[in-house]
Amino acid sequence: MAIDIFWRIPTHGEPSSLRNKLHHRGDWSQQEGDHVVHRGLAGGGDDGFNSLDYIAEVARAAEISGFHGGLIPSFPMTDEPWAISSFLARETSTFRFMIAFQPGFLNPVTAARMTASLQRASNGRALFNIITGGGGPSQLWWGDVAPHDDRYARTTEFLDVLRGLWKGGSYSHHGKFYQLENAALPAQLLGQEFPEIYFSGSSDAALVSASQHADFYLSWLEPFDQLKEKFDKVKEKTDKLGRKVKCAVRVDIVARATEEEAWREVRRGFESLSEADKERYARFAQQTGDSVGANRQRNNAPKTLDNYRDFILHPNIWSGFSLLRGGQTNGIVGSYEQVAERLDDLVKLGADAFILASTPHLEEAYRVGEEVLPLVQGHGARNAALRAVG
Amino acid sequence: MTIQFYWQVPTRGDGRLADAATRLRGERSDDQAYFTAGVTDPRGRQFNYYDHLHQIAKAAELAGFDGLLVPNDPQGEESWIVAGYLTRNTRRVKVLAAFDSARGSAVYAAKNAVSYQRYSNSRFAWQIATPVDAAERRANGDFIQDADIPQRTEEFVTVARHVITETGYSFKGRFFEVLEGGFKGPLSGQAVPQVFLTGQAEADLAVSARLADVHVFEAQPLVDLQAHLERLQELSAKAGRPVQAALRIDLLVRETAAEAVHDAARQAQQQAAKVIPDQAGLWALQTPGAGAAHATLVGDADQVIAALTDYAAAGITVFQLGAVPALEEAYRIGEQVLPALRARLGLTQQQAA
Repeated sequence: MAIDIFWRIPTHGEPSSLRNKLHHRGDWSQQEGDHVVHRGLAGGGDDGFNSLDYIAEVARAAEISGFHGGLIPSFPMTDEPWAISSFLARETSTFRFMIAFQPGFLNPVTAARMTASLQRASNGRALFNIITGGGGPSQLWWGDVAPHDDRYARTTEFLDVLRGLWKGGSYSHHGKFYQLENAALPAQLLGQEFPEIYFSGSSDAALVSASQHADFYLSWLEPFDQLKEKFDKVKEKTDKLGRKVKCAVRVDIVARATEEEAWREVRRGFESLSEADKERYARFAQQTGDSVGANRQRNNAPKTLDNYRDFILHPNIWSGFSLLRGGQTNGIVGSYEQVAERLDDLVKLGADAFILASTPHLEEAYRVGEEVLPLVQGHGARNAALRAVG
Repeated sequence: MTIQFYWQVPTRGDGRLADAATRLRGERSDDQAYFTAGVTDPRGRQFNYYDHLHQIAKAAELAGFDGLLVPNDPQGEESWIVAGYLTRNTRRVKVLAAFDSARGSAVYAAKNAVSYQRYSNSRFAWQIATPVDAAERRANGDFIQDADIPQRTEEFVTVARHVITETGYSFKGRFFEVLEGGFKGPLSGQAVPQVFLTGQAEADLAVSARLADVHVFEAQPLVDLQAHLERLQELSAKAGRPVQAALRIDLLVRETAAEAVHDAARQAQQQAAKVIPDQAGLWALQTPGAGAAHATLVGDADQVIAALTDYAAAGITVFQLGAVPALEEAYRIGEQVLPALRARLGLTQQQAA
């Protein structure tokens, strides 16, 4: 089975490179923990352009370059993926909108109608990244009150309802979180593709929920042995519960014509860091939170922050990405060939899909699509290797 | 005083007159060919209903309407998806999405609305209406009691307004809760979507007086409407804030009154409706498809202009108009009704095309 490769949409705005702190694209910038609006090249003025126009360019670049589509994240500070998807449905052709959302924020009947309508508007290009999320006060910021373990049960029930409505006909449901009586989607909204589900969450409760609804279990990049262990566990658990779940890796990359050029890019980004940036990173490394995934990332933080080489975990794997931009710590750095090889390594240890990202997302979508994707073998590589051995 | 004209976007089943069910524009079916076997159909599945909705939105914009109303019809397309799709592809019109207060987290709705505002130069607006039929609500997973609906609407709008306009906002009501909420950075400083509320009961009018920018009344004879308009004004004066009044009404306009009556009669017949109009005026005739108004104004352009002028004189400042087929009628009304009506009301005609 061939693998699917997605891109990521930079809803957070972005600088022109990893060493540039000023966000010219989109319309905001983070400075010393405070979020400051920064107008960028266009947007907010009288010309009628806004940050969506840059996002639209990235989406077009991704589809032109051969990506399936892009993950559209959801953060307190950024625009919402449902909005972006409906706005861009008409001006894209093959780009699939991977909508990150927390089920608890929407009435499931509303969500089912939105999804079916978006499938009609986009000719079936919507899919989900279901997030069940952290917990505590941050959840109440969104207006959501369910406690952590209950939230996975709610996610399961939410997706049960969505699938129930999707089948057509009259549907009733009496669960712990949702009650519906004689609900139905209208005939013209039926028969659409049910959105593929990329599922996140590392706790046991998450895996139980994933085993019922996930098509892809989505993980950040972790050290390869840990990731293999995690994927094996997911596949074993979900197989036992009767559902074949595939695995996906969301990972940032820096790919250049030569390995030296790629590391030079990282080094220059690292050398542009201020002491305050490093202190913020050190504070993050010491925190503990309710998110199992974020805690796993912290375990790999280096003890010293003197040189970018302190962050090299494996050949081509660098764990300092969160110093240079928000998000996960680990990413792949190397020549086009090396990056493709590491992706194939990940395929061998269980990955069936990727969500890639690189800054700036527009030019890098072209670069990665043109230089790296054609070198990735996918499962073909595994078969070839087996033949060579056999 | 400005008066605004919205055009209703049919979120399902638009087509010619009342037999739309058999000739839906843009809809494709694998098991039902559109043409006979003797004629080839080059379209395949390249087009869908959204292409038609796009045509309607552009028509309304070119024909000089001020806004689009996207109704909340459980039998049609979901209103926020349609609103986003059409907002990106229009330049000037307001886009008013109707939905109900059982949608989910008010914070999440507000946050999505902020994106719509950012991406549209603040052209997005809200019309919140919860179905009066309890069975319809239960099919939407909503088991609220009739008497509680106004309070939920009030909490929804209150939470949404505060998280858009401030930070560190906490609220714990009967239906919604938020802790230290409010949008920061690029999401801050956006305009709260204009809020349209509906209903004719005292409790509905009271919530509107406190919270709404516009209160929408269903089509009805002016003599019946007058008392409600006055009550809204009293409550709004007491609350110390202005509330505009809107009228949701469908039109059936033709070059002559006789043609209008003829077409209205045919529409009634096709729908097997009991009301057979025999002269111009306001008829209890419901336009087929999504979000029909409670009544249709039937007549030639002069008659319709005169009737709408009377509503405006009584205090209506927003008209939510609809007609089938939505595309052709947007042009007809934009050409034959709006310019003369605006002139009569002393308004400047919206610059179109």
